[in-house]
Amino acid sequence: MDIIHILFWCLSALALFAAIMVLVSKNPVHSVLWLIVVFFAISGHYILLNAQFLAIVNLIVYAGAIMVLFLFVIMLMNLNAEADPQKNSWMKIIGVVTGGLLLTMLVSAARSSSDIASKTATLKVGDIGLIQNLGKTLFTDYAVPFEISSVLFLSAMVGAVVIGKKD
Amino acid sequence: MNAIIVSAVWGVIMMFCSFLVKNRGSYRHIAAFGLLTLLVANILNVKGILLFDIDDHNMLHFSNFGLYFNSIAIFSTLVYVLLTGKEMEKYGKYAAEYFTLIFFVLCGVSVLSAYNNMLMLFIGIEILSIPLYILTGSDKKNLKSNEAALKYFLMGAFSTGLMLMGIALMYGGTGSFQLEIVRAAGKANGTVLSFLEVTGLLFLFVSMAFKVSAAPFHFWTPDVYDGAPTVFTSFMATVVKAAGFIAFIKLCEVRMVETGLDIDKTFGVNWQLLFAILIIATLLVGNITAVFQQSVKRMLAYSSIAQAGFMLFALFSLNDLAKEGILVYSVAYSLATIGIFAVLVKMKDFTFEGFNGLAKKQPVLAAACTIFLLSLAGIPLTAGFFAKYYMLASVIKTGSYTWLVIIAVLFAAVSVYYYFRVIQAMYFKDGEASTEEITPSFKTGLVLLSALIILVGVMPSLVLNYFYF
Repeated sequence: MDIIHILFWCLSALALFAAIMVLVSKNPVHSVLWLIVVFFAISGHYILLNAQFLAIVNLIVYAGAIMVLFLFVIMLMNLNAEADPQKNSWMKIIGVVTGGLLLTMLVSAARSSSDIASKTATLKVGDIGLIQNLGKTLFTDYAVPFEISSVLFLSAMVGAVVIGKKD
Repeated sequence: MNAIIVSAVWGVIMMFCSFLVKNRGSYRHIAAFGLLTLLVANILNVKGILLFDIDDHNMLHFSNFGLYFNSIAIFSTLVYVLLTGKEMEKYGKYAAEYFTLIFFVLCGVSVLSAYNNMLMLFIGIEILSIPLYILTGSDKKNLKSNEAALKYFLMGAFSTGLMLMGIALMYGGTGSFQLEIVRAAGKANGTVLSFLEVTGLLFLFVSMAFKVSAAPFHFWTPDVYDGAPTVFTSFMATVVKAAGFIAFIKLCEVRMVETGLDIDKTFGVNWQLLFAILIIATLLVGNITAVFQQSVKRMLAYSSIAQAGFMLFALFSLNDLAKEGILVYSVAYSLATIGIFAVLVKMKDFTFEGFNGLAKKQPVLAAACTIFLLSLAGIPLTAGFFAKYYMLASVIKTGSYTWLVIIAVLFAAVSVYYYFRVIQAMYFKDGEASTEEITPSFKTGLVLLSALIILVGVMPSLVLNYFYF
């Protein structure tokens, strides 16, 4: 067990703990702050998998931009624990059962695939996560989806104008 | 490739039209012309003439089946724009933008009918969905439309999340997004696929079932179809839904090659039984709930779930007959639904009572409406009959699950009840059905559409012959 594996397990524990705290926290602002911790832990995993670019983008875009927006919205809406609507206990039970089934399926999927277990951390293995190679594949192999996704963004922009502009 | 690029370009052209062309009435003529050129471009693609030479690195695979479906989708949209394009101008001042979004949806349809890579599947589904969220909420002053758009957006985003999760799991299992590599992995393993791939495939199926509104993932359908402006419901329920099925079929072919259908047991999941349950649930929910509806628009929303149940038979049997069947079904269902919604848009009252006595006031409208409803119910001599026939025949050809056919026929009989309620209201009940002004050209359009439906109903080979030549 070298330092990388110790790091891997620490990050995993941190990510799981923070993710549970996101759900458990009564205060939505605390939830968002814990979610930022999750993103940091996941970024750590990306670095362990030798994907530095992805790690940085994850931090800048998710932990930075999107989470700040989240915080703003929650603070503007002024949500607090009392405003939380009472949920039907049957709905809770059904939710726990279906969620638990999904969890069982995913855990068994992860456990049964033998080749994943050995690849907890692959630092310095492969260079596909480096920005140079990412750029190359993006503009050669993945040029078509890259270009076609522009239609997607264009339609989203048209939509924003149609929905957002005053009549 | 022709259809993808030309439709995107026409979307941009329509955007420019919105501020360059001052005459609002001319947007729909420009859009109709655009659809015509799009249809020509797609047919050129079928004939092997490519307008653009692009190396897609095997991301897209243009089969005859997919291209032919493109033609059907574009033709249906053309019929839709010609019949109901004028109604779009009623909702806000963004008529040209609505046509833009429709062109973008067609771009998504062309991607979905050709994808060979799960990344393209994802992009295609998104290009298809995002314009629809906007079209659903385009009636901004109407609270129901707002609610429908928000509901559709949230649920759609959630199902897209599931789809991404499925794609990620399949990537984890095979190391590639390419469909043929997924297939090859299944063959190389011989008997059992890795659990990751099966889980990923299940996730993908759930999200695709959501997109085609198969039970138990149908809960969004009635609210969204009911809340959206009627013109756009018509588009959503026809072209978009059929495109969802084409994408689903391509995905199921992966399953078929992987499992060979016969070795389901060694594979661990009995896919056919899974689909049989899905079909029965969809038929049950769609048909039984439609019986109790008071509004024709909501009844049509549930009936579209029921029709989706019939289209699911193509995914169940996955043979040549099923592929032909889904094409005939797309034509029959799209044309009839576009027709019935075109009539519905003109009605002032959407309840069954609103149709009382329509036959006396507007005999042409009532007659056309009757033909559309008969086609949806699957009465012989209309296109809907052969659509259902092909679907059931494809199941019989697989040699098992004959009981599924019997159940389907029973539910088809149930569907006759609620379709005939409209016909009964139009012909046998007295009342003052009030419609908006009906122009002679609209009437001519309806008559031509009914004639087309009967023509396909008499000669379904008319649709299929083009498929092979």
